[in-house]
Amino acid sequence: MPDDDRPADDVARDRPDREATVDRRGVPETYDRIAEHFSKTREHPWPEVREFCESAADSATALDLGCGNGRHAELLAERADRVVGLDVSRTFLRVARERAAERGYDDALAPVAGDAACLPLVDDSVDLAVYVAALHHLPTRETRRASLDDLARVLTPGGRALVSVWAVTHSAFDREEGFDTTVDWTLPGGEKVGRFYHVYDLAEFEADLDASTLTVADVYESEGNCYAVVGGERVEGKRT
Amino acid sequence: MKESLMDILCCPLDKQDLELEVVRRDDDEILDGRLVCTECGEEYPIEEGIPNLLPPDMREETPA
Repeated sequence: MPDDDRPADDVARDRPDREATVDRRGVPETYDRIAEHFSKTREHPWPEVREFCESAADSATALDLGCGNGRHAELLAERADRVVGLDVSRTFLRVARERAAERGYDDALAPVAGDAACLPLVDDSVDLAVYVAALHHLPTRETRRASLDDLARVLTPGGRALVSVWAVTHSAFDREEGFDTTVDWTLPGGEKVGRFYHVYDLAEFEADLDASTLTVADVYESEGNCYAVVGGERVEGKRT
Repeated sequence: MKESLMDILCCPLDKQDLELEVVRRDDDEILDGRLVCTECGEEYPIEEGIPNLLPPDMREETPA
């Protein structure tokens, strides 16, 4: 599928980007720069996300965490009265809003600029969430785990979320263990914009989920991605 | 943003309630304004109907 952002066409440069682990100020700007071109190549929702949304119960509030152009927010809008589309890039959010207006779900979509590791949503406010291909952009394990904890915090007690990250098993990578890398996005003029990725192995993904306060219902790999179906905070708190 | 969104928004830093200050609105939405944390006082802008609740260290225009 050419319009699929699984790790297929980008060449991964295997170099840990130490700077990205310290200063994240440039992150919104990076995504602002690629947003419009990126959006044109990211039209279709992933089948795994479609299945998850179609099997979900009707909900009051849904969250598309790292929503980009909102292609998955559209699926959530079929299940929820209100869909919060959260992204670091305000350009992406404007694209998502235009797309929602063209497709008739703009009344449900609430675009919010925010950081996935530091959610601006109150406890127990989200019944249904997708967090697709975004967690792997957070630069440290500590930040990624904080993000999973924050997702647990905002989910209602019966809430459900689907989380996905790139997996080392994809044919683009020749590795068995998770690693940090920078993957270029090539703009139409040929300019390259580097983006941080942590590519996960499944055991490591499970370990990060287990270390978080999320309840884990299912973890699996499909088509070069790790997926997890999760619920809100475990009643007994963190396992150690 | 719709005013009803205030039900679920909070300060990203300390998760406390926000106070809405409207600068410009139409019948349905708040177009420009500010969200101010009732606890830490941090201010978050609403621009073109989109609340910017990025933590201050990830915002472009960091107050001096």
